[in-house]
Amino acid sequence: MKTTSDDSVIRATDLTKRFGEIVAVDGVSFQVKKGETYGLLGPNGAGKTTTMRMISGLSPLTAGKLTVAGIDVTNQAREVRNVLGVVTQEDGLDTDLDAKSNLIVYGYTAGLSHADAEKRADAVLMFFDLTDKANEEIDYLSGGMKRRLAIARAFMTSPRVIVLDEPTTGLDPQGRNRVWQELETMKQGGVTILMSTHYMDEAAALCDRLAIMHHGRILAEGTPDELVNRHAGSEVAQVRVSNGARQDVVDWIGDAGFEFRDAGAVITVTSRNGARPDLSGLAGVRVSYRPSNLEDVFLTMAGRGLTDDE
Amino acid sequence: MMAATANTYIAGVRLRSIAGIWYRHALVLRRNLLTSLSWYFVEPFVILVAIGIGVGTLVDDVQGVPYARFITPGVIVGSAMFHAVFECAWGGFMRIQKGVYETTLTAPVSTREVAMGDICWTMTRTVVTAVCIGTVAAAFGWIDNISGVGVLLPAALVGMQFGALGLIFAALSPNVHILSLTFTVVASPLYFLSGAFFPIASMPDWVEPLAWAAPLTPSVHLARGFVTGDLAMSHLLASLYVIAWIIVLFPIAATLLHRRLVK
Repeated sequence: MKTTSDDSVIRATDLTKRFGEIVAVDGVSFQVKKGETYGLLGPNGAGKTTTMRMISGLSPLTAGKLTVAGIDVTNQAREVRNVLGVVTQEDGLDTDLDAKSNLIVYGYTAGLSHADAEKRADAVLMFFDLTDKANEEIDYLSGGMKRRLAIARAFMTSPRVIVLDEPTTGLDPQGRNRVWQELETMKQGGVTILMSTHYMDEAAALCDRLAIMHHGRILAEGTPDELVNRHAGSEVAQVRVSNGARQDVVDWIGDAGFEFRDAGAVITVTSRNGARPDLSGLAGVRVSYRPSNLEDVFLTMAGRGLTDDE
Repeated sequence: MMAATANTYIAGVRLRSIAGIWYRHALVLRRNLLTSLSWYFVEPFVILVAIGIGVGTLVDDVQGVPYARFITPGVIVGSAMFHAVFECAWGGFMRIQKGVYETTLTAPVSTREVAMGDICWTMTRTVVTAVCIGTVAAAFGWIDNISGVGVLLPAALVGMQFGALGLIFAALSPNVHILSLTFTVVASPLYFLSGAFFPIASMPDWVEPLAWAAPLTPSVHLARGFVTGDLAMSHLLASLYVIAWIIVLFPIAATLLHRRLVK
């Protein structure tokens, strides 16, 4: 089914979700193109999970329009889940079943025949390098293996579009690398991926394009490089300052019109015009420069870090 | 295994959803067959023998039959109730907490089908336990009438009725402490109020109407009718009463589960 002339697989227009008085998603619009890996980057509470749940047909829209592969999610939530693979934030593995049975039960419930579910489970376990864990109790798997099994489960029905809510939250570096590798392989296989993350390195490494979300809104959208160049400049300055001089330095930076984040020992300074912030007028401090990243973009736009507490 | 092709719908209900959930439960039972035997077999066996024979030595015939024989229908139906409550209240709550239902919903499954799948399985489970206990009771001679096979009907009805009630408690309970009330405040009192262990006529006058209205009582009455082979109009009314409970409880269970899972 194709209702649009472009190749957008997911089209969200003014997507809105309210829980009582709370506006979790506040008029968000974006499109994910076929074969693309699209990221929603933002801190906890930005509205990423709610957006993903609406797209998965697991949470009704309060307002807006949303189609997945041309299917309107508002009145065909079930049909949407026929074309999507969904990995929820919690792995949602069934601890009463072993690893392979988790896959088979899901595959059968989703519509595969018994024989196909069995065959597909073997193939998927092999792809995710979990074959030797097929008969393992879920509780004995590492966090990384559980995550990979949850992703494997979404692949039981060979979906062309997968929705991944925070693929690596809570994993150790080794587990993260492993998941990244497998997502990269899927992507090369032509699978369209929509993922959410609050790790800027994850977004930079995996996403072709991303939207930066904060308080239920999209603050900026683009490729990781575009976003960094547009909003944080090529480099940021890191200013080390002694406590006595802190207030003067902060005042000076503010007066000079730079964005900054005061994180204790180090003040991070970004400029808006693409160039590195010129702090040559600032005396009595140590200034070093490093390449800007998505964290700096978020800092510039939201006035806080991705992992700061509000 | 149910033969449900991937996309067969009846009245908007996708059969594969129910088959998939039923299959999940059957696999879990197969994996835990030995420990499950204690649930299906050992525990009701102990109750039946300990109370039937133990208490039976202290008690004269009740309604003209030995005590063990008197309590057999109630123990079968009461056991079915506990199976249903355990599967749907406790098990359902765990499946909510662990995201198992949410995972099921990522397949093209509706919450109503989740409730139906669980209740279908629960009915299977209550019938199996009725077969287990019924066989033991028959071996002791406490069921000696071919109409005794009919106890499978109240067992199945109780499976649906208390399965739906269990899901309601699972969907409403914010934590396991409140959930445990299902057993202490609901299931256990109903068991003793049901006429399983003593005739309702022997209860205080003001309790009697309450006892008859209580949701488990009609099924015990029905089971007793099948075991004695003495069936009357009251047994038909009892069946209809339980069916009415199911008709009322199921939509509530499905709606509450939907509210809990789909926000």
